[in-house]
Amino acid sequence: MSPIGSINPLFSAGAPALNKIDAPLPKLPGLHLGGTAAPTTPDGFGRMLDGLVATVDAKQSEAKGLTQRVLLGDSDQLHQSVIAMQEASVSFSLMVEVRNKLIESYQELMRMQV
Amino acid sequence: MNLISGIDITASALAAQKTRLDIVAQNIANAQTTRTASGGPYQRQVVSFETELIRSQGSAGGALQSVRVAQVSTDRSPGQQVYNPQHPDATADGLVTMPNVNLSQEMVDLITASRTYEANLSVAKNARMMATRTLEIGK
Repeated sequence: MSPIGSINPLFSAGAPALNKIDAPLPKLPGLHLGGTAAPTTPDGFGRMLDGLVATVDAKQSEAKGLTQRVLLGDSDQLHQSVIAMQEASVSFSLMVEVRNKLIESYQELMRMQV
Repeated sequence: MNLISGIDITASALAAQKTRLDIVAQNIANAQTTRTASGGPYQRQVVSFETELIRSQGSAGGALQSVRVAQVSTDRSPGQQVYNPQHPDATADGLVTMPNVNLSQEMVDLITASRTYEANLSVAKNARMMATRTLEIGK
């Protein structure tokens, strides 16, 4: 299984914009070679990343909702909105950190002498 | 899941201090109000706080306590009597009962609330900084 194959679910899960970029890929016949991990049913690490993206997305939409309520005047809990934004920011950084580690280990494997 | 630890407690403390600030604002704004819906001059409002259990912490063992506003009570002390016969709320003797709001006391309350708010804000800032610094382990 190629490590990049497990990244595919990451992009198809959380970000709709990236989903469109990802969409034409299955039409190319040459790209189905190492596809033991199908994008619809990610296994192991892919599923973990999937959950991570979903959590970060939920936190960001929560922060967005709170900020919107403050801006519309429905709520005066300004600090709740800012704290939610900070939490979303930290969880996004955590997700990026996990992704960086994944890419790093992949590149380490590619550099391996055979 | 809560990524930044203790941020819920800080958030509730911020909300409580904000309520206190609102009440101080109400007291100062009504420092000269001699007529209210319930009749008589405005009575000073006082905020009191109480602890609130938010959740049981698995690692720490004990439950964490946050803060919330227990009640907003009314200060029943009598207001100052001022001789002002032209005032529409004056009695037959020409005396007007003013609200029992003491401006210097309210200013002290205002400063206390504002400084407590600041202290809680720096807790939030530090908690976030700790989380960010932890993420820098991998770099």
